[in-house]
This record gives sequence, C-alpha cells and structure tokens, in this order.
Amino acid sequence: MKISKKIIDNLKKGGVDFYLSVPCKLLANMIDILENDKDVYYSAVPREEEGMGICAGAYLGNKFPCIMMQNTGIGNSVNAIVSLLQLYQMPVVFLISYRGTPGEPVGAQGGMAKITEDILQTLRIPMLHCSSEKELDKISTFSKHAKVVESPVAILCDFNLMKDDK
Amino acid sequence: MNRFDLLNKVQNILKDNLVICNIGLPSQELYKISDQPNFFYMLGSMGLSSSIGLGLALSQNKHVISIDGDGSVLMNMNTLATIGNRAPSNYTLLIIDNGSYGSTGDQRTFTDEKTSLKDVALGAGCKNVIECSGEETANELNKAIDDKDNSYVIISKINSGNVKIDPIPLNPITIRDRFRKFIGKVKYL
Repeated sequence: MKISKKIIDNLKKGGVDFYLSVPCKLLANMIDILENDKDVYYSAVPREEEGMGICAGAYLGNKFPCIMMQNTGIGNSVNAIVSLLQLYQMPVVFLISYRGTPGEPVGAQGGMAKITEDILQTLRIPMLHCSSEKELDKISTFSKHAKVVESPVAILCDFNLMKDDK
Repeated sequence: MNRFDLLNKVQNILKDNLVICNIGLPSQELYKISDQPNFFYMLGSMGLSSSIGLGLALSQNKHVISIDGDGSVLMNMNTLATIGNRAPSNYTLLIIDNGSYGSTGDQRTFTDEKTSLKDVALGAGCKNVIECSGEETANELNKAIDDKDNSYVIISKINSGNVKIDPIPLNPITIRDRFRKFIGKVKYL
C-alpha cells in the first residue's frame, strides 16, 4: 500500500484531480485509495481508447485527468492519443503498470512490454520510468510538466516495484 | 430529412449548450450552418464524441450535447455502458442514425440491418433512451435539456445523404481555446 499511496499522493500534488482506470492487479491498491477519496473523481472504464476521450472532455472542463492502465492499453489507444490528445494539445497523465517487465509471471505479457517504450517514443510522449521507490518522488513535477508542455505524459511502473505493495 | 436538414432544425437548441460534434461531415455541416465558440469540432478520433462529451459533463455544470453517428457509436459501443452507469443529468447523447457511414461514401452500417442502438443502449444501462424521427428530435432534445434529474440518449432516425461541403478551416488549438474560453476556463485570449 505504501507505494500505491505514494504514487497517488504525488499525482494529487501535481494537480491531478480526475482519474479513470482499466483495472490491473498492480493498480488494485490505487483503485481502492481513489474509490475512497472524496476530493477527486474516479471511475473505471471498459476500454482505454474510450478513456482517452473522457480525459479529453475532462480537460476541456478544466480538470487535470489521469488514466491508469496496463501498457497494453497504449496499443488500444494510439489513434485517440495522436488525433485527439496531441492534435488539440491536451495534458493527460498515463499511469501505466508495466506488465511483462522482470518479475512478471505471465510470459504472454512480454510481447507488449518489448515494444511499449518504442511506441511511446514514436508518439513523442515524455516518459518517466519508475523501477524503484525513490523515483516516485519525481511524479508530481513530471505531472505538472504535462500541463506546461500541453501534452500527454507516461509514467511506467515496473512489475517488481508494484508486486509486493501489499 | 437528412443530417444537414436535422442540424438546421436543431441549431437554435445547440447554440445554447456545449456541443461535441462528430468528425467529418457532421462537424463540417454544423460549421456551415452556424459556427459557434461553444461547438467543439472533432478533427480526428472517430468514435469518441460520446466519450468526450461524457468527460466534459462530469467536469462542469453546463449542459453537454454529444452529437454522434450510428457508425461512430458502433465503433465505441462500450462507452454506452459507461454512460449508462456514470452519465450526469447535464449530459445528452444525440445519435444521428442514418444507417450509413456518411463521411466515407454512404456505405450501410449494421443499424440498417439487424442492430438496434436503442436496445444496445438500454442493455448497457442507459435509462432514458428515446428513438424518434428527425421531425421529433428538437422536441425530444428540449425535454432532455429541461429534465435536471436525468441524462438522455436520443436516437434520431433519418435518411442518409450529405451536402457538398469543405473541410473546417479552423485549426485545432483555435477550436480548443475558444471552447474553453466560452466555458470560462481560459483567460489569455
């Protein structure tokens, strides 16, 4: 719970006040925290691409949105990222559980893991890769950066960082 | 009645609300009929008009109308479940259902065969789902806006067919900033 709490605290410190998720077991603690947080909006959504649309609307309404998802969700959302969020220069934080990184027990997750950073790089999305607890301190500044550069940004949280966060 | 006729008929209702308008001909036709700063024209991301409008309605108090098409809703049907469970009362989804992919040459969609978007929306958990003719649409829209306790999905059944039209000459940041300024969120313009 310590890691999850630190991530949410830092996102909130960065101004994020609107959260969506397509669940992942590595995000489960964060979802619990958000469901009980009266200061911010939280909802699950069925698909990441749709979530990009909801985040765009939330930004137009002056919220600062974050969508939490597995890295597979980036694959589901490429067109929405490019032809909505980037076209209209909308700041959105992607908080990504980086499935398929070392420690991952499910071999099939390795495929998307191998290309996740390449996709984000191709999309020119600034990345913060968190593999240890101290890197989580950078999350609030990194979130604010999304607003300054009017762009989506991606925070990648490694499997091994999240897996023991009981 | 086709889409252009319908948009003409409801333009006076639209201009008093925040409107998210679907990509392609719907936005181009609306722009030609009556351009307003409170109209957000989609220039990409087919399928997401309903979702953008939902996020906007959840984030501020003004009434939001998402103008969508049957082809676009078929592309993002999961969002009907999100709307059914989460849409606030300041949200109306107007699906202009002409049974065809108008912007790509009027190819038939599945709503012209077996699929009923009314049944899909009801099954997804949307409560106030109205299917009506183009002629009845203005009246149904007004009722939906006046009801301060419920969100609505209005499916307006019209004929296919488009008018010859040019792309929207506005750049995306202009569309974004004047829209946010209208809501009262951008001060620097």
